[in-house]
Amino acid sequence: MINTNKKIQYFLYHYTPAILLYVSILSEIDFNNSEFKYFSFNFAYILIFHYSLKREGSIGYILIFIAGLFNDVVNGIPMGISSLCYLLLCAAAAYLRNITLRPNIIKDWLFFLITVMILNLITFVYLIFFFDYKINYFDQLINTIFTFLLYLIFTNLFKIYDNIILGKFN
Amino acid sequence: MEKARDDFIISIRSAFLKKGNKQKFSLLSLILFSIIFLILGSFNFKIINFNKTIIKEIIYYSSFIVNVPENFIKRSLTKTTDHFEYYNDYLIVKKELQRLRNRDLEKKIITFENIELKKLIDDYFVEDSQTYARVLTDKESPFLRSIVINKGSKNGVKAGMVIYDDIYLIGKVVEVNFLTSRVLLISDINSKIPVTIQPLNTQGIMSGLDKQTGQLQYIKEDKLINKDGKELIVVTSGSGGIFKSGIPIGKINLRDILGNKQYIIVNFYTDFSQLKYVKILSHTKENLNFDKSIKENYELNNDQIFEMNSQKENIKVLQQQKIINDEVRLKFELDNTRLKEILINTQKKLEEQNKRIKEDQKKNKNLEFLELNLLYGHKCRKNFFKPKLFTIKTDEYRNCVLNKGLIKKN
Repeated sequence: MINTNKKIQYFLYHYTPAILLYVSILSEIDFNNSEFKYFSFNFAYILIFHYSLKREGSIGYILIFIAGLFNDVVNGIPMGISSLCYLLLCAAAAYLRNITLRPNIIKDWLFFLITVMILNLITFVYLIFFFDYKINYFDQLINTIFTFLLYLIFTNLFKIYDNIILGKFN
Repeated sequence: MEKARDDFIISIRSAFLKKGNKQKFSLLSLILFSIIFLILGSFNFKIINFNKTIIKEIIYYSSFIVNVPENFIKRSLTKTTDHFEYYNDYLIVKKELQRLRNRDLEKKIITFENIELKKLIDDYFVEDSQTYARVLTDKESPFLRSIVINKGSKNGVKAGMVIYDDIYLIGKVVEVNFLTSRVLLISDINSKIPVTIQPLNTQGIMSGLDKQTGQLQYIKEDKLINKDGKELIVVTSGSGGIFKSGIPIGKINLRDILGNKQYIIVNFYTDFSQLKYVKILSHTKENLNFDKSIKENYELNNDQIFEMNSQKENIKVLQQQKIINDEVRLKFELDNTRLKEILINTQKKLEEQNKRIKEDQKKNKNLEFLELNLLYGHKCRKNFFKPKLFTIKTDEYRNCVLNKGLIKKN
């Protein structure tokens, strides 16, 4: 019985980020293209950045790469662009982790904003110049702002979740 | 400065090239792989497209599987809300059904009354025979205002039978051959149909004018002024006995009446250029078809109606009596109230007068006593010489004065 509980807790601790990532991408509840005009955010960015920064290897790079492909297919954009963005986000998180001696949430937060803006820039450049896509910049700005603002909330929620699971685990 | 640059490069290198315990590929290799994916994706190669299709298929199925629980919850919610909506709709529909049933019942009663009234004026017809026929004439035939149908005397068609398009009158049979018949349309100038204009109940004669219209004759425009603004409908009046009454023909455009047109135009319901099949009907009066049981029923119905009417009359009389009784009762009640008030006032007055009388009597007695006191007081007053008499203001003194002195004992 105890073993079973431990197995469940182990599973929840290690696989929840990946499951959350795939569910958020494949599910019809897409916060990135929400029904509200002035509210949308990229949950996948928050999730990948947080777990790449705080728990290295909790979501494998291959899984992230495949999640990017899934996201592209679901959203109908050229395959590979989301994978590239997600992996660059992982790289940014890894870089931040390497250079950080004393973790500070505000610094993480601001670094996340810069990274998201660079990634959006790459996406826009690629989609506009190579595929002649038309992008609503206002919607993207709203999306970036809310992604940035909600990072703080979600990162705390993830921490609370991890603590609950770890508490039980210990 | 150089040290900082080295740290930066080391950090970058570590971020891109370092593989974790479980990582099989470095970030750099996967980034390169996604760039290759992007570049290849922009080319239209068969193999790439095929792989893309496979990946898309896998993803769509995965998406479907992932969405199963979500869709289940959504469907359950929708079902629940639908259920409540259906229930509300059911209540509305139930009410509506009840209303329509009531209306249907009212309609049946009115129809029944209408039939009975028509029977009373000997104007009730029943369908004797009904046949359908195909129109044979072609649109461009010279007999444009008449049609030839593929039923004749062989099929029981007789001259004078009425021709309908659904429920609308279109003409009557004027010529019968063995296999065919000719029908004079109401749009023909020679057809003179006695009509009634509803709801004004104005009578007139209608003849054909052109393909889609007829004209009203022997009728003045001022007879057609409809104050209600409702549409004027032209139906057969039944005069002359050729057509039964109440067959719809067409409607009158109010603007045509208001305008300065020479004729009052009737727009037919039927499009005569599109006739393909028509209904041939003959009508007979109901009593011709009566068999014994129907006659009995009819008589029974008549008796019942008569009884009901007499009961209705009785009820009316009783109702009127009740109204009169109520009025009388009300009048009596008012009178009663008024008399009661008078009685109470009179009683009050009487009491007051009694009181006054008593006071007057008392005063009179006092006056009498005073008078007698002056005359006979000395006979009753006690003094030194008459110690046996009475003291003033006592009852004995008063009695003595009133008795005009002492009463001598025998």
